[in-house]
Amino acid sequence: MSASPFTVTPLVRRNMRRELAARIVLGAMVAAMVLPLLAIIAYLVAKGAPLISLKFLTTNPTHGMREGGIWSALLGTIYLVVIALAVSAPIGVLCAVYLNEYAKDNWLTRIINLAVVNLAGVPSIVHALFGLGAFVLFAGIGRSILAASLTLAIMTLPVIIASTKEALAAVPMSFREACWNVGASRWQTIWSIVLPNSLSGILTGVILQVSRTAGETAPIMFTGAVFFKKIQPGTLFAYSLTDQCMALSMHLYTVTTQVTNAPEPLPYAIALVLLGAVLAVNAASIIVRSLLRSRKKW
Amino acid sequence: MRRIQKAPRNGYPGRFALSSRNQGRRAGIGSAVASSLGLDSTVFAARASGDREAKLWVAIALLLVLGAAGCSQSSARTGGSSGKPLVIQNIGSDTMVNLAQAWAEEYQNVESNVSVEVSGGGSGLGIAALINGTADIANSSRHIEPDEEAAVVAHSGSKPREFLVGFDALSIYVHKDNPITSISLEELHEIYAEGGKIDRWSQLGITNIPRARTDRIIRVSRQNNSGTYHYFREVVCGKKGDFKLGSLDMNGSKDVVELVSHTPGAIGYSGLGYNTPSVKMIPVARKKGEKAVLPSIETTLDKSYPISRPMFMYTPGEPPAHVRKYIDWVLSPAGQKIVEFTGYIPLNIAEDKK
Repeated sequence: MSASPFTVTPLVRRNMRRELAARIVLGAMVAAMVLPLLAIIAYLVAKGAPLISLKFLTTNPTHGMREGGIWSALLGTIYLVVIALAVSAPIGVLCAVYLNEYAKDNWLTRIINLAVVNLAGVPSIVHALFGLGAFVLFAGIGRSILAASLTLAIMTLPVIIASTKEALAAVPMSFREACWNVGASRWQTIWSIVLPNSLSGILTGVILQVSRTAGETAPIMFTGAVFFKKIQPGTLFAYSLTDQCMALSMHLYTVTTQVTNAPEPLPYAIALVLLGAVLAVNAASIIVRSLLRSRKKW
Repeated sequence: MRRIQKAPRNGYPGRFALSSRNQGRRAGIGSAVASSLGLDSTVFAARASGDREAKLWVAIALLLVLGAAGCSQSSARTGGSSGKPLVIQNIGSDTMVNLAQAWAEEYQNVESNVSVEVSGGGSGLGIAALINGTADIANSSRHIEPDEEAAVVAHSGSKPREFLVGFDALSIYVHKDNPITSISLEELHEIYAEGGKIDRWSQLGITNIPRARTDRIIRVSRQNNSGTYHYFREVVCGKKGDFKLGSLDMNGSKDVVELVSHTPGAIGYSGLGYNTPSVKMIPVARKKGEKAVLPSIETTLDKSYPISRPMFMYTPGEPPAHVRKYIDWVLSPAGQKIVEFTGYIPLNIAEDKK
């Protein structure tokens, strides 16, 4: 009589043990990732939340940056992110469309693709030096919001190109072929079939760069972020493009390393605002993605 | 149909001679694709309308992005026409950055049309910015070196101007529980300088630091582009001397004090203005056996405190009117009051006493 598949043989028992071990080890890894994250957030909220109010967000720092709010830094970060993405998103997306839809698969394209992937991995401090050399000194823009945003744009460009290319490549080839077969031109195909179907991926890639741009300190430190600058409160247009600006990430750094007797919750509150902004943007990206994905029919 | 056979190598067909240009484009393509894929045509009608929606999304996103860029640009333009605030770029010494910040903050109330942008980074960075022409005022807690001065002349065509704006006393900080009562420059030399013989607190006669894990003296120092680092080296290690290896080099004046306040066995140097209740300043004597004095405004000004130094502002050549006005204000009683308030030693008292 042969063993039924449901009898517990030593082999089955061994497999069950292994299954259990794998489950525990892998689960522990997940915990090792999630717990510190939650701990950080809880710690930040506990330490920083008492300071946060609308007034904290919308007033300038006063008394040697020990009191008042973070308005000038918050607005500076918004300027940097918006201008950087206004430059890098259109260029990046269109560039990826060309590379994915038009470029022939030859050695030049392959080298360009390789360069894009490698550029995406270049440390931000290197981009900072490039920005300092190219925009601040060579182009003569000087240390300014413009120079800092362009540096951030250069930094995010390769990542946007790479993520957009992924999104475009995820659109099945058969869609394009079908479109060509009824006589559509390449651009018509891209505009009517490829872009609408890859939009969620493209937007996700771009939006994720918002958080990276907002969080970077190194590239803006050399090119346009300052320790302190007082701006007019109550208007969104307090900075001009040729000014330097304060930025949240830089403000966090200077408050922790330079300002003596700063109130203890202040750095945590700044970190919390930065984190909150990033989470909000990421949440927006998730919502947009799920909205768009719900319409996918394949 | 020959054109189709000539399709490019990579498999994409070229632009067809028969184009759908004359058909109703979207629905036409949509339903044509649908029939060619053999799908239910109603599904594809839905897709076509979905496409329009998706395109709307793209358009909205692009508009937002471009609009935002446009706004910021137009704001820059209108700012320019309606009396754009004059900007003064003030870069340099980390020692002076809090002082510079306090000046900038207060000056807005004096001259609302001038905006002072303050950055730190070290005296070296300030002078480098002066050479590159990216600073209107460089803060420095040391004299400009002759070769740096030559570089400024080479770049801007005129000699940098120096303004003495105050004094700073470098305090020696230890943990607040450390029982040490005074230290001499010679002892500091033995502790910090290359070849110095003092490594342990017991060599200074200190044996009972509460909660200290070792007898070892933990030396806290600064990074090497800091003016504080250079000045301390000059005074304590001698003109040609260098620091002993193995010190903890911190990136900011505040970091030094912070580390010392958490480390019972540590000793460090930083500006007088960085004193906090959690550290202890110790009196310093020029020579062992001489009277040790605590750093203060009085002891700095009568030169009895041995480790104090001037603080400078440099401009590349003769400053333009709005920069000149700012520096004049800094040197005025109102500006000097802020020097005293932030923990440095103001100038006007210095001149009164002379």
